[in-house]
Amino acid sequence: MVKKTMLSSNAATYGMLLLWALIVLFPFYWLVTTSFKEIGDVFRGPKYLPWVDFTPTTKWWYRMWVVEGRMLFRPLVNSLVIATSSSLFAVTFGSMAAYALERFRFKFGPMKNRDIFLWIVSQRVMPPIIIALALFVMFHFAGLLDTQLALIFVYIAAHTPIAVWMMSNFISQLPISIEEAALVDGASRTQAFFRVVLPMIAPGIAATFLLCFIFAWNEFLFALMLTGGEAQTMPLLIAAQHFQRGPQWWDISVLALITIIPVVILVVSLQRYFVKGLIPIGK
Amino acid sequence: MNAKKRKQRATEFIEQRTGRAFLAPTVIILLALTLFPFLLTIILSFSRITFADGVQIHFAGLANWSRLFADARLWNALSNTLILVVFGVSVQFLIGLWLALLVNRKIKGQSFFKVLFLLPMLLAPITVGYMGRMMFSYVRGPINDIFHLVGLGRIEWLISGDVALLTILLADIWQWTPLMFLMLFVGLQAIPKEFEEAANIDGAVGWQLFRHITLPLLAPVAIAAILFRTVEAFKIVDIIFIMTGGGPGLSTESMTLFAYISGLRTFDISYGSAISFTLFIPVLLSIGVFLAMTRRYRTVTFE
Repeated sequence: MVKKTMLSSNAATYGMLLLWALIVLFPFYWLVTTSFKEIGDVFRGPKYLPWVDFTPTTKWWYRMWVVEGRMLFRPLVNSLVIATSSSLFAVTFGSMAAYALERFRFKFGPMKNRDIFLWIVSQRVMPPIIIALALFVMFHFAGLLDTQLALIFVYIAAHTPIAVWMMSNFISQLPISIEEAALVDGASRTQAFFRVVLPMIAPGIAATFLLCFIFAWNEFLFALMLTGGEAQTMPLLIAAQHFQRGPQWWDISVLALITIIPVVILVVSLQRYFVKGLIPIGK
Repeated sequence: MNAKKRKQRATEFIEQRTGRAFLAPTVIILLALTLFPFLLTIILSFSRITFADGVQIHFAGLANWSRLFADARLWNALSNTLILVVFGVSVQFLIGLWLALLVNRKIKGQSFFKVLFLLPMLLAPITVGYMGRMMFSYVRGPINDIFHLVGLGRIEWLISGDVALLTILLADIWQWTPLMFLMLFVGLQAIPKEFEEAANIDGAVGWQLFRHITLPLLAPVAIAAILFRTVEAFKIVDIIFIMTGGGPGLSTESMTLFAYISGLRTFDISYGSAISFTLFIPVLLSIGVFLAMTRRYRTVTFE
């Protein structure tokens, strides 16, 4: 009797899990298959199964990499440069600030450590549109509109608060004695931080870098407002497709999948740090 | 003795300077690229800016503000945004909690489901927008095709002004339920097993166990997750930009989209600044209300 109810509740659990798995996976399936469909199969659609109700073709993938390579190349490089460098800076600045707030005592007017920490982290609360128009005006005066540098600056500012928040979780769990040993042995604070502290929190650094990279890689609003043809990023290239060439779903699908691939590679290779590092348990 | 003291003071001074140097990059970049533009937005909202010959900024008093509060488009965008925040976050929380409880059971393939359920939040929201356009297409979309086959008829997902906001909501739920799931799942894993075992011995099962043991212990994580998603949800723009562009008519226009269109498409930056600043008010209000409502639960202690 007990066994029977357990069996049926197990079946119900798997049934519900598989239902949600289907909801998650079907749009991905649609994106992948559309990138292999002929024009006619898209417009006479919907067509569901390759080799059953449509014959797949690789010509859109070929065309995007080979024929339209020039169109693709610049945004891809821009995205890689901007996301990688801004995340590196955000993680470096963020862990330095988190370390400083954890190990030193500050007092700027009425603001002490806790207030400074809250001020930094609360920057994330403000909707980005509030500063986006002002940044447009500022970068217009600085001559930085439509440059990689503009987006790198903005993404560092946008993601450093996340880095501070995550890194302070990790640093607060470190025993202070190891650094003190290094300091007694004659290392400077800076040496102790870079040679002793950072290596100990490598998983946290990986998780934080991954998160900042994904945010920067997928970011759309700032890129839309602050760049044009030169510093265009991948999300912008994808968004522009429909307005420039009409609903060419096969090309859009190829571009979307090209954009997803680096993120999937990063997440799979850093996966064990990701879930562990995202919400440190015990604080 | 005196020399030792002086040396100690010198070390302290260097230490203090090192600390400030460590904090400086973060503070400087936030002052320059967050606080300064924030103040500039306020100034711009009281000005008129022209780009005709060189940039000229004139003081315009309350002109933008009186125009804004008389603009029906503001209330439309505000209510659309609030609908997306309230319904989006609640549904994401409920589904996320449900999935987290399911995956938290002792099941085979736990890590498979965990990774699978996270996938949508890794996508760029504009990609999700395009996926939504393909899925919900009136003639060529698989959803209408399946609805038609089972006799539900075709729905004007993106064409009808009455339905389009719901369609946006569905896409947003699809993308962001994973984040709720992730935070709640990690929260569930952190609950010591002894609590549930002890309650089990006392005879608590199923709903009772959930209501009186699991839920109170999960409350701090749940509150953090809801607050985080609420703040993020107010920022919605990318999915709408691709799926409907704010239409049909203005039926899906969010605050951010409204500010962008006014600011950079019709190129009225000062009006756009007033609109975007207005978005801060409901964000701060909702945080305040939420924190006041949940004060009781945040101070829950393990006893």
